[in-house]
Amino acid sequence: MLDQLLQASILASIAAATIRIATPLLLAAIGELVAERSGVYNMGVEGMMLMGAFIGYLAAYESGSLWFGVFAAALTGGLMALVFAIMTITLKVEQIVTGLALNLLGAGLSNYWLRAAFAGEGKTPVIPHFSDVPIPGLSELPLVGPILFDQRVLTYLAFLLVPVVWFFLFRTRYGLIVRCAGENPKALDVKGVGVAPVQYAAVIFGGIMAGIGGAFLSVGSAARFVPDMTNGRGWLVIIIVIAGLWRPWPVLVATLAFSLLDALQLQIQGIGLDVPYQLLLMMPYVVAIVALAIRPSRGGAPATLGVPYLRE
Amino acid sequence: MDTTTPARLSVRHLTKSFGQMVANQDISLDILAGELHCLLGENGAGKSTLSSCLYGLYQPDEGEIRIDGAPVDLNSPGDAIRAGIGMVHQHFVLVPTFTVLENIAVGTGSGLSLDRRSALRRIAVICEEYDIPLAPDRLAGDLSVGEQQWVEIVKALYTGARLLILDEPTAVLTPDESRKLFAVIRRLIDDGISVMLISHKMTEVMQSDRVSVLRKGRLVATVKTAEVTRDKLTAMMIGGQPPSAARAQRDTVGSGQVLSVRDLTLSRDGRPALGEVSFDLAAGEILGIAGVSGNGQDDIFECLAGLTTPDSGSIAIEGKALLHASPAEMAGRGVGYVPSDRFRDGLVSDLTIAENLTLGQQWSSRWRKGPLLDRTALDTNAETAIADYAIAAPGPSARCGKLSGGNAQKVILAREFAKARRILLCNQPTRGLDVGAVGFVHRELQRKRDEGCAILLASEELDDLFQLADRIMVMFRGRVMATLDTQAATYEQVGHLMAGQEKQAAAA
Amino acid sequence: MSAITLAAWRLERRREQRPGARFVGLAVALAGALILCSLLFVAAGASPLHAFSALLKGSFGSLRATGETLVKATPLIFTGLAACVAFRARIWNIGAEGQVFAGAMCAFWIQHNLAGFPAAVQLPVIVIASIVGGALYAGIAAVLKTRFSVDEVISTVMLNYIIVYVLSLLLLNGPWSEAGGFFEQTARIDKSAWLPVLLSGTRLHAGFLLALAAAVLVQILLSRTPLGYEIKAAGSNLRALEVQGTNVRRVILVVLLVSGALAGLAGITEVYGVHHRLKAGAIMGYGYTGIIVAILGQLHPAGIVVAAILFGALVNGGTLMQIETGVPSALIYAIEAILLLFFLGGWSACNFRLRRVRHA
Repeated sequence: MLDQLLQASILASIAAATIRIATPLLLAAIGELVAERSGVYNMGVEGMMLMGAFIGYLAAYESGSLWFGVFAAALTGGLMALVFAIMTITLKVEQIVTGLALNLLGAGLSNYWLRAAFAGEGKTPVIPHFSDVPIPGLSELPLVGPILFDQRVLTYLAFLLVPVVWFFLFRTRYGLIVRCAGENPKALDVKGVGVAPVQYAAVIFGGIMAGIGGAFLSVGSAARFVPDMTNGRGWLVIIIVIAGLWRPWPVLVATLAFSLLDALQLQIQGIGLDVPYQLLLMMPYVVAIVALAIRPSRGGAPATLGVPYLRE
Repeated sequence: MDTTTPARLSVRHLTKSFGQMVANQDISLDILAGELHCLLGENGAGKSTLSSCLYGLYQPDEGEIRIDGAPVDLNSPGDAIRAGIGMVHQHFVLVPTFTVLENIAVGTGSGLSLDRRSALRRIAVICEEYDIPLAPDRLAGDLSVGEQQWVEIVKALYTGARLLILDEPTAVLTPDESRKLFAVIRRLIDDGISVMLISHKMTEVMQSDRVSVLRKGRLVATVKTAEVTRDKLTAMMIGGQPPSAARAQRDTVGSGQVLSVRDLTLSRDGRPALGEVSFDLAAGEILGIAGVSGNGQDDIFECLAGLTTPDSGSIAIEGKALLHASPAEMAGRGVGYVPSDRFRDGLVSDLTIAENLTLGQQWSSRWRKGPLLDRTALDTNAETAIADYAIAAPGPSARCGKLSGGNAQKVILAREFAKARRILLCNQPTRGLDVGAVGFVHRELQRKRDEGCAILLASEELDDLFQLADRIMVMFRGRVMATLDTQAATYEQVGHLMAGQEKQAAAA
Repeated sequence: MSAITLAAWRLERRREQRPGARFVGLAVALAGALILCSLLFVAAGASPLHAFSALLKGSFGSLRATGETLVKATPLIFTGLAACVAFRARIWNIGAEGQVFAGAMCAFWIQHNLAGFPAAVQLPVIVIASIVGGALYAGIAAVLKTRFSVDEVISTVMLNYIIVYVLSLLLLNGPWSEAGGFFEQTARIDKSAWLPVLLSGTRLHAGFLLALAAAVLVQILLSRTPLGYEIKAAGSNLRALEVQGTNVRRVILVVLLVSGALAGLAGITEVYGVHHRLKAGAIMGYGYTGIIVAILGQLHPAGIVVAAILFGALVNGGTLMQIETGVPSALIYAIEAILLLFFLGGWSACNFRLRRVRHA
């Protein structure tokens, strides 16, 4: 009896952890999904998330407002995405190289700024973080209530974005335009719709979401900033979009799968099983490679993903 | 045509140049309301540049464009659409994963939501008015080339075009489909819509009201079609007498089967691409393949060149079965391959002529000195090829990306002819070339045939096949409809077979 | 109509590049990067002039400083060459970072069983083992790309993360841990396996000569050999190469193996030339910086050597800059990324011109 109870409570805590871990990934993945649907491979997500996490933390620390931190993180992500868009869409610089440059910029700048801002203080100060906001009524549901409906506002936002972005992409006039930019930009051009503004908008949306996703890591849960705290999550986001076949619902499934893995890993560490923690930590990366290698369907990618549009 | 008829479009002194090259020089012409106006010219004469200027894709350096008498600035296709200009591009610009409706409606309308119902209604009205058959809910990728053409035309009319530019619309259509297209064009004209048809096919040109002939970027003249002959137009287009198209009579078809293909079957993405294709090819023979593009010609070539492995069937060269051979093995058997898309499959733009001439043979001891490439051998080889094939290039180290289409093709011919000891595979060797270059390719193919090489030649230009081929094999939807003796075949018969009509072909 | 003429500017792509434009673009990019860096110095409360002069003094101010700059440049030459070989073929090997680890680990794995052998035995073994280790690790990405069509960008990045944990597993209470040690590192390597110092009074070691030799070899490889020809062709039109009978899977595999081998060598220059023990901190970051070096060096071996020395100078001078001005040396990494962005943008902008669009 007690055994079973323990089991159920462990499962519940794994489930709740999965949802929490999924939040930053989902926020950034939904943004990346829209950017890639417009034909632009934003490889700078890692850097945008990292800068979002740092600026979010710094702004929240300086202003004392967590929401101001989130706002500043969104702005940071959007600004970096603007740089990415100018470089890749207007100047036609290689998307991979530009993304990499932004990742390195994010790592270098956040690391430097952290030291400059908190010089002399041995440790970066801890700030308050967002607390859970139970949804009245729903959070009292047995079992699923505490798991699904006792989360942070950004978590609700992330999950709500899935149907919203689905509706946008597949049911609205603008969604059709975004998808057309990724499938055959010339078809937009000859209709008199500029391709570049569409891609700029999609990339900047992606950057804003990556920034907010990063902010969730610092002000949303950890309550502090640690150098390189994204630790490859930005790359995982790109993999999630591929594994999710560039569709919102499968992207949600892929996000949850990776998050579950991470939650399990934490749980195993938590109960002190005798597995070297390095093996557990490298799991998501190994699984990502395996998932890409054995994925059954290669379809779904926008036809001109990563190919800059030139009129001639 | 009455001179008081208002001009829908007036172009005055339009000049457009790209760097050193002047693509359009001082062009002035009028397109009247309700007129079928043909723009005739060779490849490279400046037709595409002119139509791109009219559609706002390029901005002219000088000159003026007026619509219904008012000057307009066409800085983007959006400006052109607002001015009532619609364009059907030679290479369709459709999204295969979108439905017909989505392809037509994308980028139109206003507000957040996509009003499918009103879009459907408008499409239905257009289709009914001009008798265009279209199913709005089908995916564009599932449509035949002819049906895609309809989507493009409806797309242009949907945005309210009063002047429709059709860029080489019949290049990919069967004779039957192009007849239907002209019926629709007639209805459009009756309705007061002006149509500018870009073409180099005389049968189509002769159906127009007026013709403007372009040569080397300049307007030669605009004439009433009823007042000129085909020969006159051809002379205006190429600026001299057309080369005689007479087919050299030949009795000596070589003997000895070199290539034997049996029941070649292939499916791509779950769709049948080739169905039980069988044929034989003898030394010193040219077997022509006729067909509208996309009916399996490319697949046959890719199987024979070792790029694709067929699902079943057999390929034998001089009796040796070779079904799973790689491109390198095929080349080793003396097979040369001139691919249809020369800049995609045939050449590496960043490599020099000397390097491209040895593409695929870079490890051969002929081109190496120990572990290093033998630059002298490469250059000597290239100098010979440049002289033999009259390639217009500064020298062996010129980059191939800078060559014109005709000279690029000559580089490929030089390389593949050297490889083709037994068999030469030629897919659309004259596509996009001007008359002079086409003549050159013809002579070279005949020379190679006379040397005893077996040649498989696919072309969308029936003239190529009737002038060169000993037999013509007609393809439709991945199957061989018939193989005809060129001496006994007629254009009409081949045309019907290309459209999949066996009975009419038999009757003809 | 009132005669209002609007002048608008349009960004147009040039058809042909003007020879001088590239240098103008470079100069503008350099100036932009300098100004932005100065602003960062000011923001950190230091005078830019002071900071730059400290950077210069710290990197080339003395024989020792110059030697140290070249020491810092050595692994960057290797990783820059690694990126150069792959990127020229448009194979996006982002995995030099992991391949540096693999090279260092493979060399250590074999060498630490050779204690007591003379240097003449150990040194060649180290070099060969690092080449093999780096190549094999890159080979994983090659197999994933050619057999499972996994994009190399993603697989190499994942492999970069994985190998850090593998090393940690071996070092933290693992078989390679320093006996009784507290840190995640191996014991100090025996002197017989150290790369010899070239210049007394500095730490400049033989790895630098090895790097220069590698640059010469890569230059010959790219310009004179059939493989170089294939790399050039693959970078321009992989499909044509395949249609014309070249096994492009082999090309991809070989390119990644060569690229990984070059990166692997960077592992031993640090472990056996500088730190004399294997630890993550000794070999971290060179892979990513090497990509910047390769691009700033215009994917050209000579340019890469110059760019690597420049970056070595930045990193080396950064320490003195921190001491003299209090600006954290971590700024150097931000400056590197800013340089890259400005140079990418500047070069690319040379392909464009602003044109006045006429309105009626």
